[in-house]
Amino acid sequence: MIRDYIDSGILETYVMGSASEDEVKELLHMKAKYPEVNEALQQLELDMEKIAMHMAITPPPAIWDKIEQEIGDIIPHNFQSPEPYKERNNYKENRNHDSGNQFIEVESESSHMRIHKTWKWVFAAVFVLGKIFLGCAIYFYLENRQAQQQLQELKIELKQLKK
Amino acid sequence: MLLGYIVEAVKNRDIAEQYLIAVFNDVQNELDEFTKPGVNAFCRLQLMARKKLIDFFGSSTEPVSEEKSNNKYTAKMNREQQIVFCGVHWQGKTIARLATELNKPDEAIRKILKECFTIIRSSSK
Repeated sequence: MIRDYIDSGILETYVMGSASEDEVKELLHMKAKYPEVNEALQQLELDMEKIAMHMAITPPPAIWDKIEQEIGDIIPHNFQSPEPYKERNNYKENRNHDSGNQFIEVESESSHMRIHKTWKWVFAAVFVLGKIFLGCAIYFYLENRQAQQQLQELKIELKQLKK
Repeated sequence: MLLGYIVEAVKNRDIAEQYLIAVFNDVQNELDEFTKPGVNAFCRLQLMARKKLIDFFGSSTEPVSEEKSNNKYTAKMNREQQIVFCGVHWQGKTIARLATELNKPDEAIRKILKECFTIIRSSSK
């Protein structure tokens, strides 16, 4: 099938610029899909170069100047090269001159906050200390309650002894 | 190389130089085409030149004619092959137009064109 396509002469038609739009589309698709088509096309392009080489004429030296001049005429003369980037360290000065367009509103819309990594250890320490304080509080509460009970018992014993 | 092709097509050195300048001026508009992978720059320039020459070719009402130029490749082709090859290459004729002129189907014209390239390839070995 590919051989038939290559032998149909469509590649030669394309290389010589006589292929229709549909043929060109089909050929570019085939070229991308089949390496044989691509190879055949490259060979034909080399053949075209050989023909051209055989009939080559050296252009007169002035022709490049003409091309350069024509291109120069096409490019607008008022073209200015862009200014090199300068870091703005005169912030306040610029703000005073034209505060309207110089700066972009940077207020974040995100509900999240970014903090330094060292805060992780601070939070861990606070968490551990919190647990220690909680343990101590429970311990002293229980101790206190036991002491209260003992005190109550002692009071009762003391009353009984008085009687 | 490109100037040689245009001179053969228009048969006038001054006009050919004007076309050459016009083609190179257009290169800046087609830089994307040139930078595509696998693109043969000369063939691309030649296609651009052929497009520019459409007006020139269009003014020519020349009917079927054989060998428009004398070179070692076309010299080895038969009359029909010369008509097809020279018609497409130097006169900018479409396959359909040549098919009408030679009273043959498009496929036959393409086959003839392929034969022309076979001759070119064998001649350059």
